[in-house]
Amino acid sequence: MIKKLLSSDFLKIKRKGFWFLTFLGPFGVVALQMVNYGVRKDYLLQQSDNDWDYYLLNVSTFTPLALVLGIVILTSFMASLENETNAWKQLISLPVSKMSVYLSKFTVLAFLLLISSFILMLFTLAYGVFLDLGEEISYFELFKFSFYPYFAGLPILALQLWIATVSQNQGIPITIGILGVIFTYSAFILPDWMIWKWPSLINEWNEPIINVLLGIGVGCLLYIVGMFDFTRRDVK
Amino acid sequence: MEYVVKTKGLTKNFGKEKPVTGLDMKIPKGEVYGFLGPNGAGKTTTIRMLLGLMKPTTGTIHIFQKDLRKERVNILKRVGSLVENPSYYPHLTAYENLEALRKILGVPKKKIYEVLEIVRLSDVANKKVKGFSLGMKQRLGIAASLLNNPELLILDEPTNGLDPSGIIEIRQLIKRLPAEYGMTILISSHLLSEIDQMATTVGIVTNGKMIFQDSIEVMRMLSQQKISLKVNNSEQAWRSLLAKGIKADYKDDTVLLSEHSNKKIAEAVRTLVQDGFSIYRVEEEKRSLEDIFLQMTRGGKEG
Ligand SMILES: Nc1ncnc2c1ncn2[C@@H]1O[C@H](COP(=O)(O)OP(=O)(O)OP(=O)(O)O)[C@@H](O)[C@H]1O
Ligand SMILES: [Mg+2]
Repeated sequence: MIKKLLSSDFLKIKRKGFWFLTFLGPFGVVALQMVNYGVRKDYLLQQSDNDWDYYLLNVSTFTPLALVLGIVILTSFMASLENETNAWKQLISLPVSKMSVYLSKFTVLAFLLLISSFILMLFTLAYGVFLDLGEEISYFELFKFSFYPYFAGLPILALQLWIATVSQNQGIPITIGILGVIFTYSAFILPDWMIWKWPSLINEWNEPIINVLLGIGVGCLLYIVGMFDFTRRDVK
Repeated sequence: MEYVVKTKGLTKNFGKEKPVTGLDMKIPKGEVYGFLGPNGAGKTTTIRMLLGLMKPTTGTIHIFQKDLRKERVNILKRVGSLVENPSYYPHLTAYENLEALRKILGVPKKKIYEVLEIVRLSDVANKKVKGFSLGMKQRLGIAASLLNNPELLILDEPTNGLDPSGIIEIRQLIKRLPAEYGMTILISSHLLSEIDQMATTVGIVTNGKMIFQDSIEVMRMLSQQKISLKVNNSEQAWRSLLAKGIKADYKDDTVLLSEHSNKKIAEAVRTLVQDGFSIYRVEEEKRSLEDIFLQMTRGGKEG
């Protein structure tokens, strides 16, 4: 059942800018560094001993912001797809369980964001190589800065999808989304328990993996809560 | 009798609002069931519950003799539906819209062309639905409801937004389906005249209550004609008929005979002539289904 729903959902997101955004996010993040390094490469190379690590750190400054912004926009696109002509009623009148409908929506978004993270890794690597930052490429750091924020951001995805699918008024998910983006922007002053801090990979123990594990755990939890709330409610 | 749809005490509350209360609906197999009621009567709410879009506050729903609560997915495999305004994805073409549903239903692709042909949208199959007229979108919705060869077709005001020729077309289609495919059809409307021409069974709902549910023939019986007599002195004529033991009513300066066999009418006329009344006119007064419907629904509101 879920395979059918997924292929239907991938058809529905055609021509709606989903794929474009998936590409634009990581491109934007690396493009900022293209400007940064394009303008003051010599200065930046003096800033540290390990040019690759320093470059990755620079790239990663904007990753959480792009990620959270991407989550907010994609979830709201996804909800508007069904809200626009109230297609929820048509979709749920089909022989499918509401749980699998919700799972399919989540899976499509999670997949797009994963692709985004992968593209981010490729772009980061490509521009890094182009900058000729030296032989020593820290592949693990590259992986970490590309994929850790994704996993740490899963709770935000689960939360936004939940709010976007159950809200009658799409102003609510957008408002919460914008607040989330502002929170993410000010991650360094947020307490550790706020989910919007997690994609920045900052925590008081300096262990980014904690954010990843928390992200996956709390993400699953919020996903389940959202899914049950969605199935419990009458369809709009 | 085998009922395709059977609800018992179906009730839905939204806080204080009670759009459906204690509704018992019975739809026999192979019927076109006209679900009638004025605006806000609770038709759409009932239909939403039949499709599992809303959970009833109380009451049970059995479709194909299966409990909807327990076997929703299995039931819906055999149901096609169009609820209220048609839903569609405007950025996709008509074909892609149906394809998005087909993928989930798992029916062969040729079915898409088939249903597009039925609603006569084949020519615009590859145009985006965004640019469709309201009537075309409505047809697309009907096409979508036919995609899985449903045994039960639920259409909520399907002729909404269609022009007269479109209405006739859909009506003919609906009449054809039970015979050709053995479908049972539930079709809601607030216009009796629309249902009158296709329904075989009628359910009338007002304020969330079923106030009439029977075959259209029974409903037609209720609409049976009365004989009205225009006489020079109606009131006296009426009294003299009553005096002879002939049942009659007096209203608006006419005498109304409630019995309408030829014999009884002849008897009444003879009596009046013998009593020296001048009879100007003997007329059949037909009550339209519309009148009955209005009368029933008004009654429901008072009750
Ligand atoms: N989600 C809801 N919350 C609160 N009230 C509702 C809701 N849905 C429907 N109602 C109310 O239920 C009543 C019945 O509505 P319904 O749509 O079932 O009527 P209907 O018979 O389909 O009317 P129409 O002919 O206009 O389509 C209305 O008074 C409506 O305001
Ligand atoms: Mg309605």
